[in-house]
Amino acid sequence: MLRELCIILLLTVIGIAYSLVGGLSTQPGAEPELQAGEIYLADAQTLNAIWVDARALEEFEESHLPGALFFDESDWDTGLLELMNTWLIQPRPIVIYCGAEACDTSKRIAERLRKSLPDAEIYSLKGGSVAWQE
Amino acid sequence: MAGIRPRIRSTAFSAYLILIGRLIVSAAFILAALPKIQDPAAFTTSVEGYRVVTGDLAVWIALALPWLELVAGFGLLIPQIRRGSALVIALLLIAFIILHASAWARGLDISCGCFSAHESYKAPDYLWLIFRNLGLVTACGCVLIRDWQYPRQRSLGEGASTS
Repeated sequence: MLRELCIILLLTVIGIAYSLVGGLSTQPGAEPELQAGEIYLADAQTLNAIWVDARALEEFEESHLPGALFFDESDWDTGLLELMNTWLIQPRPIVIYCGAEACDTSKRIAERLRKSLPDAEIYSLKGGSVAWQE
Repeated sequence: MAGIRPRIRSTAFSAYLILIGRLIVSAAFILAALPKIQDPAAFTTSVEGYRVVTGDLAVWIALALPWLELVAGFGLLIPQIRRGSALVIALLLIAFIILHASAWARGLDISCGCFSAHESYKAPDYLWLIFRNLGLVTACGCVLIRDWQYPRQRSLGEGASTS
């Protein structure tokens, strides 16, 4: 059994080395590629966007981006109505953020909003609220 | 004498079941590993999402774990390292179950990262993930038990013979 585990470990190390040296994959620590529908904070800040906060109400009340709208995914119609009212007054890009780098709430809301507001430019913020809190 | 033939059939049937289980687990791990090997940077984000490890440790886990999954997945089909691979896979699955249960208990809203770092953004169904992994652990356990019962038997044909 120990011999088998050593073989497995050795093959794994060879694989890791191949990834690092052979260029099979991007280097560890490299910035993850921007997925479709995402936007970096620096780019979003140039857009005069409508900010949408998809975190819990307590987090929103504690701090949020100036002018950000609170959006509760579980109360979709209320959030959508408020967002539409804001967007229709002055159509601008919409950027949604949630509570952590790997949080998926903003991406889910963005996907749903693209169906509800097909003419709107909608993004989810890369890095979530962590990006602007830093 | 009459009792030996049913016993042979039963052993052969269980050997086939073990083989199918092994193929399923092997395929699952190989398919899970390949996209993550191609994009360890994105998988790092999934690893950090569980909020257990961060920084350089998350980076190295994201780099090493898919390769371990791939090697163990193939190893499950290679008689010489089958037991070790089954043990590695069983331990990984137990760790995944604990991670999913922990994420569920903490209310984390993250993509699983199980088969890709770019999975669908539907809210994770932790109960399904945990039960799926329990099924895979069971299959691995059966492989381990069988290989320990018949350590010198390396093919299906040998498994059908009486012990």
